[in-house]
Amino acid sequence: MALRAAVLRHLRVPVQFFALARRECQPPLCSGGSLRLFSSHDDHLTKDEVIERVLSVIRCHPKVDPSKVSPDVHFQKDLGLDSLDTVEIVMALEEEFKLEIPDKEADKIDSCDLAIEYVYNHPMAS
Amino acid sequence: MSFSSTAGYLARRAAQKERVRILYRRALKDTLNWAVHRHLFYRDASDLRERFEANKHVEDLDTIDKLIADGEASYNKWRHPDPYIVPWAPGGSKFTRNPTPPEGIEIIYDYGREDH
Repeated sequence: MALRAAVLRHLRVPVQFFALARRECQPPLCSGGSLRLFSSHDDHLTKDEVIERVLSVIRCHPKVDPSKVSPDVHFQKDLGLDSLDTVEIVMALEEEFKLEIPDKEADKIDSCDLAIEYVYNHPMAS
Repeated sequence: MSFSSTAGYLARRAAQKERVRILYRRALKDTLNWAVHRHLFYRDASDLRERFEANKHVEDLDTIDKLIADGEASYNKWRHPDPYIVPWAPGGSKFTRNPTPPEGIEIIYDYGREDH
């Protein structure tokens, strides 16, 4: 028993070899090799991702002309929306990024770059 | 006199617009709370929007105030008793529920006697 323990303690198996051999016969589980921890809030969004998702939400609004949407548009001046449409867009953004924005702060968000700034700086945006 | 009355008019208009925006926002969220399915929400939301649009061209300030007060009363009457709250927000299901610290991290409670 003592011998077995001593042998096991000094035995080193090259794990990498097995991993490589297995990868040849079956596809890797997660593409890109990135591991996402579901309990962590450390994975902050990158600015590019925020911009892209904010713009896609705005493009999906039925009253918006998708070709006019760019990161620095003003909802009412450039896109021709009214104040209630702005409210709808902000609520859609909240759902997209799983946020809960207080009413007074949500009321201030009236342009695309303000929305991007708010979402990017929010610690819970995901 | 005309300047101050104009400024007063504009300030009152701005306050009313803000009240309407916030009322619409809360009412829209409440519509989503009441809707069991997403496709039901779409119709309810467009009904709500029509109720707001119906009084879009009202000009008289006192009438607008009365309409907003009516809307807020109606919102308060039909407010959902158990609204959806984002999990991390106060009242949400994950509020103050933090993941356990990783292995090897030990919290030492010295209560103010740390040496630093």
